Amino acid sequence: MLSYITRRLLQGALVIFLISLITFAVMRLMPGDPVYMLLGEGEIRISQEQIEAIKAKWGLDRPYYEQYLVWAWNLLRGDFGDSLIRTGVPVREMIFEAIPVTAIINVIALFISLAVAIPAGIWAGVKRNSAFDYASAVGSTLGVSLPNFWLGLMLIVLFVLYIPQWFGDIPLIGKIPPFGLRSWQGYILPVLVLTTEQLAVVTRVMRAATIEALGQDYVRTAYAKGLAKYVVITRHAVRNALLPVVTVIGFRIAFILSGTIVVETVFAIPGIGRLFTDSVFRLDYQVVQSLVVVLAVLVVLVNLLTDLTYAIIDPRIRIE
Amino acid sequence: MTWMGHQEVSGLGPDNVGPTVEWVMVINIHNPLVAIDEFNEVEMVLAKSVDVSDDGLTYTFQLNEGVKFHDGTEFTAEDVVYTYDFYRNPENGASIAGEFTGVGSVEAPDKYTVVVNMESVNAASLTGWAGTAIVQSKYHAEVGEETYRTAPIGTGPYKLKEWRPAEFTELEAFDDHFRGRPNIDVLRQDVVPEPSVRMIALQSGEADSAVWPLLVEDSVFLESDPGFVVYRTLANSIKHLPLNLRTPALSDKMVRKAMMHALDRQRIIDDLWNGAAQISHSNLSPASPYYNADLPQYEYDPAKANAMLDDAGWLAGADGTREKDGVKLTFTCTTITGDQARRPIAELAQQMFAEVGIDMQLEEAPVASILQSLREGTMDCSLFNWTYGTAIEPDPFSTLHSTGGNNFSGINNPRLDELIETGLQVVDPAKRMPIYHEIQEIFVDEVVALNLQFDEWINVFNTRIKGLPENPKTGDPIYQQAYKWWIDES
Repeated sequence: MLSYITRRLLQGALVIFLISLITFAVMRLMPGDPVYMLLGEGEIRISQEQIEAIKAKWGLDRPYYEQYLVWAWNLLRGDFGDSLIRTGVPVREMIFEAIPVTAIINVIALFISLAVAIPAGIWAGVKRNSAFDYASAVGSTLGVSLPNFWLGLMLIVLFVLYIPQWFGDIPLIGKIPPFGLRSWQGYILPVLVLTTEQLAVVTRVMRAATIEALGQDYVRTAYAKGLAKYVVITRHAVRNALLPVVTVIGFRIAFILSGTIVVETVFAIPGIGRLFTDSVFRLDYQVVQSLVVVLAVLVVLVNLLTDLTYAIIDPRIRIE
Repeated sequence: MTWMGHQEVSGLGPDNVGPTVEWVMVINIHNPLVAIDEFNEVEMVLAKSVDVSDDGLTYTFQLNEGVKFHDGTEFTAEDVVYTYDFYRNPENGASIAGEFTGVGSVEAPDKYTVVVNMESVNAASLTGWAGTAIVQSKYHAEVGEETYRTAPIGTGPYKLKEWRPAEFTELEAFDDHFRGRPNIDVLRQDVVPEPSVRMIALQSGEADSAVWPLLVEDSVFLESDPGFVVYRTLANSIKHLPLNLRTPALSDKMVRKAMMHALDRQRIIDDLWNGAAQISHSNLSPASPYYNADLPQYEYDPAKANAMLDDAGWLAGADGTREKDGVKLTFTCTTITGDQARRPIAELAQQMFAEVGIDMQLEEAPVASILQSLREGTMDCSLFNWTYGTAIEPDPFSTLHSTGGNNFSGINNPRLDELIETGLQVVDPAKRMPIYHEIQEIFVDEVVALNLQFDEWINVFNTRIKGLPENPKTGDPIYQQAYKWWIDES
């Protein structure tokens, strides 16, 4: 067990090293120059010497391998460096300010979707081809296929402009702001958008897994032993059906970045998705590189955790 | 009062003035000696008066007395000397260092007098460096530039209350501001990247103005809503097709003139730009006091274009494309990769040129490589916005002088060079006027670039904000007058 974890962690370290190298290279290959990003729209008079001076200050005039080594060595010591664009602000502060923001809306959305999707998926699986099953199929298809961007905008228009206009000042939902997380009502719409998609995915996965488990030999055996239907479903079928759901959850955590960029942009939420895109567009090398490494570490750990969870849920899976 | 920007406010020091969203905050926390207001007029702020010597080499500022910084200390000439010396020093790597080109030394003969000595006359200078925000010198020297950007101390009407770069910047009224305490207690700017959400927030009353414009169609929609004041002002930059005059097909002036007649520029504005632009007839916008209103104009006239090309000896070949002396009238326009807003203009222009037998091919490339190729003279043509002199300072040295750093066309006209150099040596606006009128004449006659339009910049305010200007000429500077405004809830 311990040697397994050690081996996985060492593999993870290699992956993280490669990712840091690739990110570093990709950022340098991007056309453009961060100095020009500072200068606005070409109305500031600046000479080539002055541009060189700015580059020297940032260390951008040094050879690439030196820039990489300095950055990687500092990173290992926990020093993420300073942002090029947001000068004077440590990158570490920027990243660890943004992570909780993204984490909170995602955790809330994940809990809500699991709490609804697991029972709904089981019910749809058990009552196959019932009205409920068809309704959940339509609902999930819609949930997966509605683009987050469109859904977010439509919800803002509906809750901010129309509902107050039609119904006047309703408690709670009459106070939903169009953007930001300044009040707790600000969380409602972004969480709703994120939940919609996850709910749909998890319901579908849970339904399929339940149907598969119900067809297994051990379920027939359990019925043959004379167990009640309720016991067969909860103790034998559902427990095995949870495995794919754990995979999906692990997967979602790895995709938090790409999944929330759109939601954070629409709702003006200062999370990691936006920090990442803003920094890429402004060629803020330090922030992009460090953020990717932090996320890579997170994904490696979550994958390990997912594999360990399999063993707990299903004793047939042995970890060696 | 709440404003909305589209991207984060990455710092609040005098050097953070490139992006509009940063400038509007910096200029409310600090003051410059002189400012350019929303009518393109010079406005005295920390300076009471400025005196320019006849040779244009010495600027003497008399400062307002009794001006307080946010920390209670008094503003003096020493703060000005420190600020100018810090930001013009190349070692400090400031992006605004270029504004101080030509400045030799800055001195403070007494507490309320600043003298700036120029090494060479640079008529373009005052509006540049004198607009620099003044910092509390002792504090800045103590904490350094990087920390200063996160916690500035200026003399402005508002002081920093809370700064969360990716979320909001909140300022509060400064009681001891020298022009009087502002009427509005709190001024905040939220970061709202999505333009449709900025529109909704304006409509719901969540915010009072969008510092960075909405979608053009949304702004046009709000113009008919009595709840909003909408300003249309002209941008300084021309949307144009820069041409490389060294390309064989483009080196003939008659060809370039014919191309101007072949372009239906009003149709481009109406069909592709929601009508939110004005046809450009010069390198300067009509908002500039130096604008020459008597220039010849290239009206849309394909028949005339055809006749001009025929007269110049460019005759249609077998495939319909004109040619002369073995040179085909064909060139390539490289647009910016992913530039979905401007690419359709190139496509429409392609059709318009085809109608008069000119073949324009289209390609795409990233902006950095386009600028590099144009500067090196290895690209025929592109399509983007660029400034050939602003409404405040008409100097086009970098784009039209033969040695200019952004001389995309490769124009090398001795008379033009001479005019540009002379213009920079003359400080008196009345004496500069004929020089810049002639520069515009040459620009138009030589057809240095295919100038399409000046885009309109649209700023929207909720009508509950009172004290707003009437018919401003530029958009951004409106926001430096926030200290005069008040809120009327009725």
